[in-house]
Amino acid sequence: MTSSNAAVTTRGLTKRYGSTTALHGIDLDIPRGSVFGMIGPNGAGKTTTMRLLLDIIRPTGGDIRVLGEQPRAGGASLRRRVGYLPGELHLQARVRGRELLAHYAEISGAVRPGAVDTLAERLGVDLSRPVRSLSKGNKQKIGLIQAFMHEPELLVLDEPTSGLDPLVQQEFHAMLHEAKANGQTVFLSSHVLSEVQQTAHEIAILKAGRIVERSTVAALRENAVRHVKLVVSEADAASARATLDAVPGVTGVTAVPNGPGTVALAATLDAHVDAFVKAVARLDVVDFTMEEPDLEEMVLAYYGADVSAAVDADDADGADRKGAER
Amino acid sequence: MNRVLPLFRRSIADGWRGLAGWTAGILVALFLYLPLYPSFGGNGQMQEMIDSLPPELVRTLSYDQIGSGPGYAQATFFGLIGFVLLTIAAVGWGTGAIANDEENGQLELTLAHGVTRGQLFSERTAAVLAKLAWLCLVSFAVVVLLNEPAELDIEVANLVATTTAFFGLVALSAIAAIAVGGITGRRTWALGAGAGIAVYAYAMHALGNQGDDLVWLQDFSPYSWAYAEEPLVNGWVGPIWLLFVVSAALLLVGWLVFRRRDVAV
Repeated sequence: MTSSNAAVTTRGLTKRYGSTTALHGIDLDIPRGSVFGMIGPNGAGKTTTMRLLLDIIRPTGGDIRVLGEQPRAGGASLRRRVGYLPGELHLQARVRGRELLAHYAEISGAVRPGAVDTLAERLGVDLSRPVRSLSKGNKQKIGLIQAFMHEPELLVLDEPTSGLDPLVQQEFHAMLHEAKANGQTVFLSSHVLSEVQQTAHEIAILKAGRIVERSTVAALRENAVRHVKLVVSEADAASARATLDAVPGVTGVTAVPNGPGTVALAATLDAHVDAFVKAVARLDVVDFTMEEPDLEEMVLAYYGADVSAAVDADDADGADRKGAER
Repeated sequence: MNRVLPLFRRSIADGWRGLAGWTAGILVALFLYLPLYPSFGGNGQMQEMIDSLPPELVRTLSYDQIGSGPGYAQATFFGLIGFVLLTIAAVGWGTGAIANDEENGQLELTLAHGVTRGQLFSERTAAVLAKLAWLCLVSFAVVVLLNEPAELDIEVANLVATTTAFFGLVALSAIAAIAVGGITGRRTWALGAGAGIAVYAYAMHALGNQGDDLVWLQDFSPYSWAYAEEPLVNGWVGPIWLLFVVSAALLLVGWLVFRRRDVAV
């Protein structure tokens, strides 16, 4: 991919604060017109990455391109083309919502007349009230409005749904879909997958300053662990078990009594759904259950310690790049 | 849409209540002190009282000239109550310009918009200086107004010099707070710098008043740069310009660091 059709590109992006390293060489490619989700536990480096894109902080090493420009060189005119929602939103308290948004409109890209009111109506926030009297969720709506109101080419949203109730979250997801349809690019972060999986096409999982997985939601789903339960007659139990054991990706097959004359075989299946279904089709199946894959569980596995292989690979990769750059 | 100086206008709009309060405070101070001069300072009663005080205290407070109209206005308002009031305002506004905004998390979102660091630094500095200039202008106008009724006998040209020195002195505290806020982003450091420079300046001046062998201390006191040559009596004498040179240098350093460093970390 070239940087001209990428909304965001980073290469070997490194950020150190004194002796602690927040980012160990991040490579990101976010195509224009896509919705890209970055997920990771607290302190993984999501906010650091986003602040680097907005030139609020400066990288220790590596390269960043935002809409084809370096954030530092692009300066104010580049930031007018970006909408940003900080992870920790702090708004001036004493002014009314409308007044505050009018101020932000002055220092961002051109805002269409009526855009603010339309957004406020959609999200359901009263702009005539002083900001200090608004709940956390309503303040977050003001934050979303200032990010969306000038229809920026790139939206950088740090944990955008925090504090929003489920109905507003739905409205927010609709706004993301419209932004995508409108050709805008969205880069959003969350600490849980469920917040991004409905909207994001591509995701990156960040842990301790490294990208440990880059994937699409579809690919994650394909590779996710599924719990299956197969009920067969007692007579068929042995052959069913043998069949299951022979299917690639099936593990932990256990048999449990399941009422008169039948046996339930429980197992976990990682990927290869097709092979599994075809193998099972040859049996006399009394009942069959396959649970919806739990992507969250999969992501949590990345958060844990059992991803050292992936981290090492990424680290070696990062080290190579740094070496190559010098 | 009007896009001229958005951050300057925002600062002024946010701060007008505070500015109104400070204006009222300055008015109260001036209208309480200055009209007392004819009944108090002008007939020698005041001088008698001053003479009975310990000389070190009198020199510390610069009350030795209090028997004349300009000396009275200088000792009570420009050198003391006005200096204290405007310094408090200056340090508060100076700390608010960057450090306070950064610590409470609002600066991040502002800088994520279409403004440069230099623009933010200069517009917010200008807003603080404009508010201080307003308070100085109010002081100037009230002294002119009360000059005759209170029998102060102050020459307007000398009052211009003194008000300029007054502005330069309190602006220095504000700019120290702005610059240190720009450099560190820490409220306590900015506050400490602004208040510290005022206390330091006053202390060095007061110590320098205690004797001829200590008078050299005043060479290093911004308070002395402003007032040691008694501009309310003598006009444009003394290194009043030095206040503005030091302020400009502080602004330059603050801006250079602020445009380079990480914000909100």
